[in-house]
Formats: sequence, C-alpha cells, structure tokens
Amino acid sequence: MEILDKLINVALIAATLRTTAPILLVALGGSFTTKAGIFNIGLEGQMLAGAFFAVIGSIWTGSAFAGMACGVAAALAFALAFAVLVVTFRANEVVVGLALNILAGGMTISLMKAIFGTRGSIVGHGIVGLPKVQIPGAQALLGSWAPLVSGFTPIVYVAFIAVPLLVLFYNRTRLGLYIRVVGEKPEAAEALGISITRVRYIASLLCGLLAGLAGAHLSLGYITMFTENMSSGRGFMAVAILIFSNGDPLKVLAGCLLFGFADAFSLRLQTFGFPSYLVLTVPYVVALTALFALSYRARPKIIKETLASMQKLLSVDRNSSPVDKNPQ
Amino acid sequence: MMSDRLRAFSGQIIAVGVALLLGAIIILLVGESPVRVLMTLLRGAFGDQEKIAGTLLQTTPILICGVAACIGLRGGMFNVGIEGQLFLGGFAAAWVGFTFSLPAGIHMLAALALAIVAGAAWVAIPAFFRARYNTNEVVSTILSNYIAVLLTSYFTIFLFKRPGGWSETPPILATAYLPEIFSFSRLNWGLVIGLLLAVGVALVFRYTSWGYGVTMVGSAPKFAEYGGVNVKRQGFVVLLLSGAVGGLAGGVETLGVHHRFMEGFAPGFGFDGLIAALLANGSPVATIVTALFFGALRSGSLLLEVDTSASREIITVIQALIILSVSAQVLIKRRGDSQAGERRWKF
Repeated sequence: MEILDKLINVALIAATLRTTAPILLVALGGSFTTKAGIFNIGLEGQMLAGAFFAVIGSIWTGSAFAGMACGVAAALAFALAFAVLVVTFRANEVVVGLALNILAGGMTISLMKAIFGTRGSIVGHGIVGLPKVQIPGAQALLGSWAPLVSGFTPIVYVAFIAVPLLVLFYNRTRLGLYIRVVGEKPEAAEALGISITRVRYIASLLCGLLAGLAGAHLSLGYITMFTENMSSGRGFMAVAILIFSNGDPLKVLAGCLLFGFADAFSLRLQTFGFPSYLVLTVPYVVALTALFALSYRARPKIIKETLASMQKLLSVDRNSSPVDKNPQ
Repeated sequence: MMSDRLRAFSGQIIAVGVALLLGAIIILLVGESPVRVLMTLLRGAFGDQEKIAGTLLQTTPILICGVAACIGLRGGMFNVGIEGQLFLGGFAAAWVGFTFSLPAGIHMLAALALAIVAGAAWVAIPAFFRARYNTNEVVSTILSNYIAVLLTSYFTIFLFKRPGGWSETPPILATAYLPEIFSFSRLNWGLVIGLLLAVGVALVFRYTSWGYGVTMVGSAPKFAEYGGVNVKRQGFVVLLLSGAVGGLAGGVETLGVHHRFMEGFAPGFGFDGLIAALLANGSPVATIVTALFFGALRSGSLLLEVDTSASREIITVIQALIILSVSAQVLIKRRGDSQAGERRWKF
C-alpha cells in the first residue's frame, strides 16, 4: 500500500498532465488532417523540427516566446512541404510523411553540428525556458492539490483548452464543417463548390501549428534542452491515437491521457529500480495494445452484425436513435 | 512499354538530380562547400580497394532490408518495421552463435534460421491485425521498432552481457561466422546472400503465379479478389516474408560483421532499405543499384565526419530529399489522372 501511495499521488497526476500536453497537442493537430481525410505520418518530423527551432530561436532572441514562434514556423514549413507534395502533387502520403520525418531527423542533427559543433544534445547556451504560470489563489483554495491546476507552462494550458475549442470548431464553424465534409465525402464537398485543395492546405497548416507548439513544449517547457530525435515516437503514438479516435477531440484527449499516464508512470517505475529499458517500452506497448484492441471498425462481419442486432435490442427502450453522424 | 519504362527511369534520374541540388544548398547552409563534400564522399566510398569493400559492406544490410521492403511494397504493404526485425534477427543470430556449439556451417545456418524466424515472429502480430482487422500496418510496425530496439538492449545489457564488457553480448563462436571474401576487409558472403535473394525474389515475382498474385493484390486488390486470390491471407504472408528477410538482414550483419550483438549495432539500415526499395520502385533487382548508391553514401559519410565540418547525417538529409522529389515526380506525370481518392505508391 505504501508503495502504491508513493507511486500514485498528486505529483504523478501533475506529471501525467505535463507528459500528456505534447502528445495531446500533436494529436489535436493531426485531428485536422485526419478529419480532412489525410493520413499524416509526418507529425513526428514536424514536432522534432518545432522542438529544434524553438531552442534555436530561444537562444538567438533570448525570449522563450520568440523561440516558440520559431519552432511553430519551422513546423509550419514542414507542414507546407507535406501539403504541397500530398495535396498538389498527390504523392503518396505515407512516403512523403516518412521522408519528411527522416529529413527532420537528419537536418536537426546536421544543423546542431554546424551551429554548436556538438553531437547529441544542446544544453545551456542561454536557452530560455517557458515560464511557469502560477494561478493566483490556487494554493489557498486547493492546498496540496494546487499542483494539478497551477505551475504549468502556458502551452500545457493551451493544449487542454484546445480540446473544447476543437469540439466547437468541428461542430459549430463553417471551416470545421468544410474540413469534415472534405474528409468524409469529397464528392459532396466538390458538389458544394468547396475547394478540396484549399481546405486540405488549411488543415495541414493548422496541424503544423499545433505540432510546432508540441515541439516547443518538448524542448522549452518539459525540459530546457534539445536532444537528437527527442520526439522519440510521440508523433507516431499520436497517429495511433488518431486512427482509433477518428480525430474526435474528446476521444483524442482520452487516448492522450492514457499515454501521458503511461509515460509518467514508466518514469516513476524507473526510480523504483525496474530495468529502464523495459520501462521505456511501456508507452509504446500501451500504444500498440490500444491500437490493436480498438481496431474494431473493421471487425469481421459476423461480430459486427451480432453487435448491431444487440444494439437494436437495447435501443428499443430509448426513444431516439443514438447516432446522428452527418448533420448535413 | 519500353518507352514508358525509359521515361520513368529518366524521371527518377532527374528527381535524384533535383534532390542533390537541394542537398547542395543545404550543405552550403551548414557552411561547407558542396564540391568538397562530394569529393570527400566519393573518396570515402571508392578511394581504394578497402574503401570499395567498405562500401559493399555497408550495401549488404541495406540491400537485404531493401528486398524485405520490396516484398511488402509489391504486395501493397508498408513494412516500416524492418529496423526492429533487423535488431531482433541480429540478436537471435548472436544468441545461437554464443550459446550453442555446433559444427561449422551448420552453426551458421542455424543462427541465420533463427534470425529469420525472429524477424517473421516480430512482424506476425502487426501482420495478423492488418490481415484480420485492417489495422494500419504503417503505425503498428513503426511503434514496434521502438519496442524491438529497447528489448534487444535489455537482453544485451541485463541478461546476456559479456562479463567485463559494456552493452554487448559475448562473442559468437567462429563456427557461426559468415566467411569473409577478401583478406583486407570484413566484407563477407552476406553480400552474395543479398544479391541471390534480390534476384531470386525478382524471379519469383516474375515467373510464379504466387508472385503474380502478390503484385496483383498490391496494385489492384479488388481485381485480385475477383480473380480468386485470398487477399487477407496473402497480405499476412507477404508481411511475414518481409519480416523474415528483415530478420535475415540482422543475422547476416551479426554473423558477418560484428560477431556479437551490440546495442545500436545497425542504426538506420532498415530505413535505408525501405528508402532504397522506394527509389527502386519496388523492384528487387533495381534495389541492388539503389542499395549500392546508399551504401556508398553511408561509407563515404564516415570520411565526411573526419575530413570536413559537416556531420554524416547530411546524407540522411540527401536521402530524404531524393525520396521527396521522386514521390513528387511520380505524380507530376499523373496529374492529369482522375481525382479519385486513391493514393498508393504506384509501380
């Protein structure tokens, strides 16, 4: 029990929120492209580029927020390249995404060597980290629970506030609706006179914006340094989440909290002497398990039909049909 | 037909040229002279007979991984997990090498066999879910890479560490070595295995009905299904074979070059193989050429780090640029085609 107390406490939940933020941001970014019908495996590279250039910008300008802007700009450049190749040239999105990831990895290491003359990581050099926001009154009101709402970097708040905003965006705004139509029924979008190309470009760039923020959080918020390939598969985990959540912001949040918890919990386990190599696999194993367990959309016909008939039986009691997918 | 092929080939060459030009600009940006980098790369890759043997040594795993990727691509499957299969295959071969003592030759074959099994077993779960539930194989194989690399590190450092050594297993017995071809280089018969494999796979695709079915599933799955191919089972088998060859690449690398398993023993070969296969449009024979190209880049980059201020990762940048421009070029040609949502790498 004592061990359990040590393992699971307020600090762990706060750590979960902190580790959730980057993957949540990048996954929410990916929700734009997912909804617009693009399979974006390039999230990893956008995030890595964002993390690297956020550090560079922070060193050059001496301001964390200018650094963040640099990181976002770099991620946007990658997103633009992705959109040009995938939307305009109609290149294969998996190939382009993977190549951009490789490009981001090689480019950041090459530039690191060229600028700092080192390999491995950038520490010090006057990197300015993002400030932590202390919410006034949190300590007085919540006491020991205060770390749950106060003391995070601004990007963490942005990540969690973005979830309800995105729900509103998809359901209540014209652009959100256009993105969904383009993804679900491109023919309908074309018939309505919506430019598929333009909508997909916008979705890709919005994705780059959030992926860049996620990267900036990694290198300026979470820790104040850049290391080779520091995104370490978070972009791919985000893609896994997007596959089983279909890009719905609330489901994305649920998935990301699961990964954030796995991440924070595995860091915690490490301090208890579990072999670090095994502990480090935990987030990936969780991601794979979730991906496999939830790949129900294409379940074999017989299971699907059984479930459908059971649902019918159950929904007799209710008045309204539970699903209304297409508001159009 | 021929002119089509010729056009595709010349397009490929132009795309590589564009990528090299972009690469030159990036080299300028990191403060090096592109000409100097190119000369250093050439000298590092083909400077003397040892350098050439070194290039071929680097080509071997890229070629075998490339063939693994080709098998997947032909069948419409992106096996991005070759890296992980390579690591597990490499470890499995080393384990057989240092645990058992068998007669020479048989020992080596047993080690390679287990490497193949390990690679196939590692991809079996993603392959099963892909075949049965259509779970995206790109994501599942990428994520399994991270697990494979960490798992082999765990085996190496916690379970089978060489006493007194650091992050490496005990050396394998000499009975399991892949023999070397020349006395002056570690270049070994693995290269021959790779070449035979590439030609063999190409022949299977060209002359057997099974190979025809695989290609058909890759290019027109509906047509293949109506033609009586069991598309799901075929997808499973294709991924399994691809993983098996990926595992073989790891086994060859262990038995031929390192003679033990080390943490991070073959970084990036799996991805290089995938890129080589993409550049070769999924043709195993053309992969021999592209693998040699990437092997030369890799081998040349070793000297790059010594003789210039550029980092060796600059070649990764060039590889990525090549693939990007090739992917764009393939579709410039097809821009007039229908708007239909299909976006598959075409062969």
